[in-house]
Amino acid sequence: MDVIEQLAGSVTILEPRGRIDSVTAKEFGERVINLLNIGRHQLVIDLNSISYISSAGFRQLLIAKKSTLEKRGKLALCGISGEVKRLFDIGAFDELLPVYSTREESIASMQ
Amino acid sequence: MTACHVETRIWNRIAEVASVAEIVSEFCAKHDLPEQFLVALGVSLDEALSNIIRYAYGDARDHSILVRLDYEPGSVGATVEDDGRPFDPLSAPALDLTSPTRDRGFGIHFIRHLMDEVRYVRQGGINRLNMRKKIV
Repeated sequence: MDVIEQLAGSVTILEPRGRIDSVTAKEFGERVINLLNIGRHQLVIDLNSISYISSAGFRQLLIAKKSTLEKRGKLALCGISGEVKRLFDIGAFDELLPVYSTREESIASMQ
Repeated sequence: MTACHVETRIWNRIAEVASVAEIVSEFCAKHDLPEQFLVALGVSLDEALSNIIRYAYGDARDHSILVRLDYEPGSVGATVEDDGRPFDPLSAPALDLTSPTRDRGFGIHFIRHLMDEVRYVRQGGINRLNMRKKIV
């Protein structure tokens, strides 16, 4: 799994590509924790280029939310559509995770 | 198109699941299946296999797990066979989606919602899980 990382002011945007499954979830989770540990506490995860997320991936997103809160930071998810949206709906994850419609809204939520 | 299947064996290591994801991708492309089948088969197999690899074995030995994908007019199926301890994933209680602290049990919940039919049988020391999705 590749992850594109960009900066928008103090906000870090992560755009993972491919699958967040039992094989790749741990690596993705560590990437988030590493960012928090170097003081990048405002994170946007854009899921636009993800084909699917399994429960291992959702678990890492829940951990990312918890870890961000512990650092008094902020997490926002965006780019959720099609089959990935369906997976969010099946697990009602939009009630557990901070989901925004667009990248711009996600960045604006950090202010 | 007539019925056909593809079969592989993996070892009980999480990294091995990546090869199954690739086979699912090739299988869906070969049969020209829409995106929802790639997601249903990919996620369901990831859940079933990771569960077996994490919890099915009480020893540190290598175990081989069989994965079979089959296509027939009207449906596609994924079958997983392992020689781990007996476990019927369908016996797991339904996930309580109203609980704000829910963080476990999403795997079988995904399988139940992504596939149209899930069957489990224990036979000759083998767990066999068959999951099917209709092509409508």
